[in-house]
Amino acid sequence: MRFKSTTGLAAIVTAAALALTGCGSSSGNGGGSTSSDGKVDGTGKTLSVLVNVSSQYPEQQKQWQSDIAAKFKAETGADVKFETFASANDELTRIQTSVVSGQGPDVYSLGTTFTPTAYATKAFVTLSDDDWKKVGGKDRFNPATLGISGPDKDHLAGIPFVSRPFVMAYNKDLLAAAGIDKPATNWDDLAAQAKKMTKDGTYGIATGYKDSFDPWKFIWAMSVQAGNPLVDGNKLKMDDPTVKKAYETYFGWLTNDKVVDPASIGWSNSNAVAAFASGKAGYLMMTTSSSIPTLDKSAVAGKYEYALMPTIAPGQTQSKSDGDAASILSGDNLVVADYSKQKDLAFAYIKLITSKDEQLNYQKIFGDLPANAEALATLTDAKLKPMADAAAKSKATPFTGAWGDIQLGLLNVTVQSIPDLAAGKVDGSALDTRIKDAQNKGQASLDRASKG
Amino acid sequence: MSTDASHEVRPAVESAAGRAPRTANDAGQQPGPKDGPRRKGLSERNRPLWMLIPGGVLMIIIIVVPLLLGIYMSILNLDQYTLRKWVSAPIIGVENFVEAVTNSPLLHAVWLSVSYSLLAMVVTLPLGIAAAVATQNAFKGRALIRSVFLIPYVLPSFVVATVWRTMLQPGGIVDEALATVGIHVGLWLNGPQTFWTLVLVQIWASWPFIYLLALSGLQSVDHEVHEASALDGALWWNKLRYVIFPYLKGPLALAFLIGMLHHINNFTLPFVLFGVPAPSDVEVLPILTYVTSFQSFRFGLSAAMAFISLVLIAIPLFVYLRAVKLDDADTPGAKK
Repeated sequence: MRFKSTTGLAAIVTAAALALTGCGSSSGNGGGSTSSDGKVDGTGKTLSVLVNVSSQYPEQQKQWQSDIAAKFKAETGADVKFETFASANDELTRIQTSVVSGQGPDVYSLGTTFTPTAYATKAFVTLSDDDWKKVGGKDRFNPATLGISGPDKDHLAGIPFVSRPFVMAYNKDLLAAAGIDKPATNWDDLAAQAKKMTKDGTYGIATGYKDSFDPWKFIWAMSVQAGNPLVDGNKLKMDDPTVKKAYETYFGWLTNDKVVDPASIGWSNSNAVAAFASGKAGYLMMTTSSSIPTLDKSAVAGKYEYALMPTIAPGQTQSKSDGDAASILSGDNLVVADYSKQKDLAFAYIKLITSKDEQLNYQKIFGDLPANAEALATLTDAKLKPMADAAAKSKATPFTGAWGDIQLGLLNVTVQSIPDLAAGKVDGSALDTRIKDAQNKGQASLDRASKG
Repeated sequence: MSTDASHEVRPAVESAAGRAPRTANDAGQQPGPKDGPRRKGLSERNRPLWMLIPGGVLMIIIIVVPLLLGIYMSILNLDQYTLRKWVSAPIIGVENFVEAVTNSPLLHAVWLSVSYSLLAMVVTLPLGIAAAVATQNAFKGRALIRSVFLIPYVLPSFVVATVWRTMLQPGGIVDEALATVGIHVGLWLNGPQTFWTLVLVQIWASWPFIYLLALSGLQSVDHEVHEASALDGALWWNKLRYVIFPYLKGPLALAFLIGMLHHINNFTLPFVLFGVPAPSDVEVLPILTYVTSFQSFRFGLSAAMAFISLVLIAIPLFVYLRAVKLDDADTPGAKK
């Protein structure tokens, strides 16, 4: 047996090596050639696109993908291969792998607040004027949506695809019964109106304190509206009194005003939607057009409407923000990978799906608002009016690679305060300590960002 | 499993007896190809060790290389800004380690992880043994009971955590059930009590593992032993304590070890139960490392954290392995 072992070993090592190189081989193929009339010829090529899976409309999403692939094939001769990710973590893993290995999807769909982080990796194309022409021109987009595409207007990597601005929904019957003729436009009035509606198991406001995103959006909105955009150059301003006031207002709904269900300390946004859908709440905060299908099938069908969330900070009489900051700038951006060998093909694909007709079609199926300005202007549905307003009055969160940490810090203050909320009182000094902790961590992250 | 006590006892004795002259023989003369008349079978000298190569190569690729990469990462200033060209990320030496120890919740996380694992283990051990002993003798419906016992073990961690999270929500089914008997516990999923929630759910999910290994130990007790102790007039507790438990020592030591490591490494349970950012009372090691890597994008720092925790866990593990000699097949775990 012994004499055979060397050959055996060699065979095994060779086999293992072959198997390994098999995993690593790249499917690199050349870019599409562009002819003089701007048409991209991608015959025989395949464009790889990474998008988030739609849990709400899985069938429609598949249908949409095969339709768009057929149109793209007709236009350029190239195929589109869609890959999906199920969660933000999933997405992040894919991006990290691709960034490190320099291969992967050509086009990514990213959430807006994640765009700064992706931009910081420098792994995505910052569009030149020429590139913008290839996707149909910068002016085809709703100008507000470009707010979180890059650090300044000359360095943009994210191409807006859809807007998903945040609004609030209100129960018309409950408001009328409490003698309220129109929804509140400032946070103080909101709490006052909510008090009037709170009785017998019905609450003025439905919101989820345990949601993984909502809490920081409230704090951000109220701070910005009070004139504090949180990040000022390289300085984080979370220890500003406006931030504490925002937390006090947000927590106060539960502890002082008692206008939210005490159980909401354990709720995520979907629990709040369910509470509103059962007709047990006057206002549903921080919601998007994606709540329409649920609400239209619920007890409040036909009895609810959407409105802008308040734009005047607690204790103020007017907005101190430039722009109303009715919502964070929310939606999806498309980015093209720097390592892609078929960028022109990628731009051609983006041009197709951001065209007026395709954007309107997408809105009809999925409910997300078009980023295409012309398409947005043609939407006349009364229900969509507040959302279109909110899309125009959205304000971008600070464009820094440190935003992920800052957002986490803002959220963490709420998470660590929940036991106090349950007890009915959030101690001022404990709140100060938590905010200070978030400030320190966020500032450290900003310092790294400025060096990075 | 190498700790199958009873089967090891006799072969161990036999082989010890048989080996003595053989080893003397080995020492006495150089074994060579002409070693014809002595049949050794697959003894130490010409075991086909090359057959370990495929496994060895795989081990190197999936364990050693990532480990070395991890250690290398821990000395880099690797974050979202340098990730793209990570090989050329600036080397900052021990700075990550210093930051992990002095300026991060790492030590707190280690303390939480170890104490929670130990607590869960201490409770699950008697539970598992009791369950194994209770289902040892045949009775009607035993097969059913045994299968039911295994349910928590076969459920994926994700499902266990999701179900418990739903039950433990404020105003959820647990709160309501307890309220009917006048008990108001407060928050399960936030605040200081989260630590106990984690211990509780971990116990629920992991006791069948102890039960399984205890059962395998019980199965290996020979009939003769039961008869002998019955003849000697041992009552159930004495029989259990002095006759049966020694058989369980090996399997349970192994269960303790694997269980502890599993608890310390358990990411799914706290992640799904509490989400991120986790309440500070359940910011256990895997959660902290995850948040540092994938929320703050401090890959270098989190690699340093992971390495420190690896060392911290490896020290007692090593001592323990030496103590129970699980690595030595000739010495059965069960003491005779």
